[in-house]
Formats: sequence, structure tokens, C-alpha cells
Amino acid sequence: MSRNVLAQCALALAAVALPVFVKNDVVLTILVFSFLASILAVSFNLIFGITGQLSMFHAAAFGIGAYATYIAMHDLAVSFWTASALAAAFVVMVSLVIGAICFRFRLKAFYFAVVTLAFAEMARLVVVNWYSVTNGTLGINLSQRPVLAVLGRSITFESTLSWYYLALLALFATILVCGRCVDSWMGRCFAAIRLNDELGDALGINIFRYKLLAFGIGNMLAAFAGALYAYFLGSIQPAYLSVGQSLAIIAMVLLGGQRRVAAPVVGAIFLTLLPHIIDLSAEMRAVVHGAILIFAILLLPKGIVGTVETWVRRRAA
Amino acid sequence: MAVSDVTFAVEAGEIVGIFGPNGSGKTTLLSLISGALKPTSGSIVFKTRTSLVGLPPHRIAALGIAKTFQNPQLFEELTTFEHLSVAGHLMVKRELGWRRIHTLLSSRLSRADRMPRRAEQVLELCRLRGVRDALAADLSYGQEKMLGVAMALMCEPDVLLLDEPASGLGNVEVVELERVLRDLRGEGTTLCIIDHQVKFLAKLADRAISLYHGTKIADGPPGEVLSDPRVVKAYLGEGHAAGPAA
Repeated sequence: MSRNVLAQCALALAAVALPVFVKNDVVLTILVFSFLASILAVSFNLIFGITGQLSMFHAAAFGIGAYATYIAMHDLAVSFWTASALAAAFVVMVSLVIGAICFRFRLKAFYFAVVTLAFAEMARLVVVNWYSVTNGTLGINLSQRPVLAVLGRSITFESTLSWYYLALLALFATILVCGRCVDSWMGRCFAAIRLNDELGDALGINIFRYKLLAFGIGNMLAAFAGALYAYFLGSIQPAYLSVGQSLAIIAMVLLGGQRRVAAPVVGAIFLTLLPHIIDLSAEMRAVVHGAILIFAILLLPKGIVGTVETWVRRRAA
Repeated sequence: MAVSDVTFAVEAGEIVGIFGPNGSGKTTLLSLISGALKPTSGSIVFKTRTSLVGLPPHRIAALGIAKTFQNPQLFEELTTFEHLSVAGHLMVKRELGWRRIHTLLSSRLSRADRMPRRAEQVLELCRLRGVRDALAADLSYGQEKMLGVAMALMCEPDVLLLDEPASGLGNVEVVELERVLRDLRGEGTTLCIIDHQVKFLAKLADRAISLYHGTKIADGPPGEVLSDPRVVKAYLGEGHAAGPAA
């Protein structure tokens, strides 16, 4: 097993064992939010860091996943798990339409970012104005909790500890899915698109198809994160779909690192912990995210994980 | 018009040399065949039946036509071997088809496919074994050009379109390249080669085509084409066309 894999396994084990030693509810709650933010960051990295497409739609996928899960549970009376699967499927469909439009017109870089931002704003405005379904700017308070029926017993996800393990499991699953995609023929196509899509096209790679695939998979995972986040927090707000949320996700990826599947976790944990270490108002949080973006781009272009890896490699050489 | 009124046929297993001064439309011609550019009129037919007009480059590559680039196109962050793995996409697709989705579930399944072994073979063939794990950014110009040929080979093409493969190469590298291309022809690959190294291409090609201002001006055995007064005039100007050919 490579050193990298060993390190990741050690960290995973530490995360699983942590609640045995840390009983503080506040700390565990912050960690749950970190894990859910990590799912957002890792799934965004599949689209941005791995495939090279700067999507401003990720927060919208997150928010639509949350609202759609609530609507499915409320109107169709299905379980949380079925509802979140339906919500994810809906987000995939929306992603395919938006992606098909963007990639058919070969929108790249700035233009792709602007068009996905426009679609995200459209989604947010639908949420804000469709008062009868979404409760508009007031948001929705959720009293239901996910219930899992297993081996004849039912587990209600109510305690922080149960959510800790649910969020951690979801994060592991996200890293596994993204990791399998990246370490395969699919990942080679994503890398080709990021590095030189004209060459990839000439070598037989269907650039349109694989851009759509990365976009769809990334947004699908964001939708699941939205469902979990909403039912953990107990409320859904239109702010889930805001530009500020998209920028926060970008900051997490830039800070953590773009070339490794799990690197954004570092950025996500850092940025989730930050407001609890330094007392920040919501406005100041946006300023700090912007400052971190600038800092990361100028001083840590490879992110924390990339910089550490380069340093370790230089020392070994 | 970069290319207008060019009509020719290429037989399977031939090596066709495409000559012409700068700006005569040679690269444009290959780009039209490979799908990088769309023709405004005319037809391009492959294996008698398949029209290539309107098809995207990746579909044309899948049909069996691979092209190299005049200025080496690379994936900056990847190693030489990784380049060949990316270029092996068509091989994986052809071998596994939709079943390649199963390899996402278990990497054990992907060890069965022959693409990595073919990549090692191509490395050996193109004399790139020594730089297998070097980053593309660290390769010499000659190695970059050979990598372009190697990537095209990974597509298992029936037809290989080579845009100035020998330009910028030293004498030893040109000899290596000639050996690789002859081996390819021996395996049945059809080659269309553009190059300004006239001696190299004239020796290699079975047939020559000359372009000038986007039009075909000669077509025949290399010796005949290169001594054709119109071709000499195109390359060297009016004065030389009157005298003996270079």
C-alpha cells in the first residue's frame, strides 16, 4: 500500500474512533457540518479541479437537492432515503440540460462560469418566488428526521452522534465514488479535458460526453449533501443556492488542493472551523472567504495538500 | 480559401508524401480529413463508404484515422506513459465497450485489458522507454514529436496523418523516425505525411502530392513530382523552374 493510501486510512480510522474520546456535542456538531461541507467540496473538485470546468452551479445543486428532498417527503410521503434519491435524480436531469446547453456551445472557462451562474440565479429566484412550495425567503423548518429501518429495528437520526457517523459514511462514499471515477479510464478522460481538450478530441475522447458526466456526477453528490445538510440543520433557506455559497465551496477546494480527490476535505474542515475559532458575522465570513481565495491563489497555488506533498517529495529527493 | 480544388485518393498501405511551400494548405488539408476543420464544400470518403464530412474529431479517430500536430500538443502535467494511457482510450472502448463501466467497481477487472501492455510496446517502438516516467514538460523537442506519433499509434489507426514529424529533429532522430514509419507501413498502416525535409520524405513515400495556394498541382511518384517545373516554381520561384531540379 502506498504511503498516501496508508495516511488516508489512518485519518479515516481516527475519524471513526474520535467520538470515543471526544464527547463534546458542540465539537461533534461542527465536525458533522465539516463532513457535509467536505462532500460539497470533493464533489465540486470532480468538476473543477479534475475536469477543469469552473461551475458556479454547485450551490444551486446543493440547494435544489435540499428543497426537492423536502418536497418529495412532504408531498409523496416517502422515506428520507427515497426522497433524497429522487432529489438527486432530479438534479442530475437539470444538470444534463444545463450541461448539454453549455457544452454544446463549447463554453469554456469564464463563459461557462457566467452561464452556470445565470442558471444558479434562476434556480434561486424560482425558490424565492415559488412561495406556495418553498415558503420563499422565510425558508422551511423541518421537524422530521431521517429514519432507517434495519434488521427489524428502526434508527432515528436525531442525536449528534448518529449524524456524525451518517455524515462520515456519506463522506467516505463520496470519496470512494469520486476516487473510482478518477483512478480509471474515466479519470483519464477528465484529465485530458482539463489539460488539452483539443488533443483529447483528436485521440478519440468524446469531450462533450465526459464533461457532462463530470458535471452530472458532481452535482448529484452535491444534491445528496443538500438533503443531509437540510435535515441535520433542521431548516432550508434560499441562501443554500447563493453565489456566496458557491464561492465558499471554491475557496475550500483552492485551499485544500485540486489534484487529489480527498484534498478539498482539508479546505472544507478549515473553513468550517474558522468561524468557531474566530467570531465572524455572516458578512465578515464572505470577506474572509474572499481573502482566503486570494491568499490560496497567490501563495498556495497547489493548495495545502499539494504544497505539503511537494515539500515531502523534495525532502525525500 | 486555404484549400480549394484538391482531389486525390489514397490506397490502403500507401505512404503518400504531401509537399508544398508554407501556406499552401497542407496542414489545413490534414485538419479537414481529421475533422478539426469543417469543409465548406466537397466530400471526404473513408473506405469507400463512410463520409467524414461533419463528423467530430473523436468520431473520425474512432473510425481509424489518427493525426499528429505540427506543433507538439501535450498534456503538461502528465508523464510519457500517462500520455499513452490517455491515448489508449479508444483501445479500452473497443475492447470492453459498455463493460468498461464494470472497471469502475473493481480495478481488478481493469488489469485484464491489454492497453497498458500495448502502451509499453509503443514506448519501445518509439524509443521513449528511457523517458517513460518523465513529465511531458521535461522532454526534448524530438521526444515531444515522437510522443505525438506514439499517442497516434495508441489509437490503432488504419490511417496515420503526420504533420511535419521530422521538422526540428536531428539526423539521428530522423533516421529513427524513418525506421518507425517503415515498420508501421509493414504492419499495413496507411501514412499521409507532410514534411519540408524533402530528402527524408521523397525516400519514404510511394507517391507524392504537391499543393500550392490551396490547389493540387502535381500527383505521382516522388521523383517526378519534385522535378515537375510547377512544383519547383512553387518552392523556389520562377528562376529555378527553368533550370535543373534541386
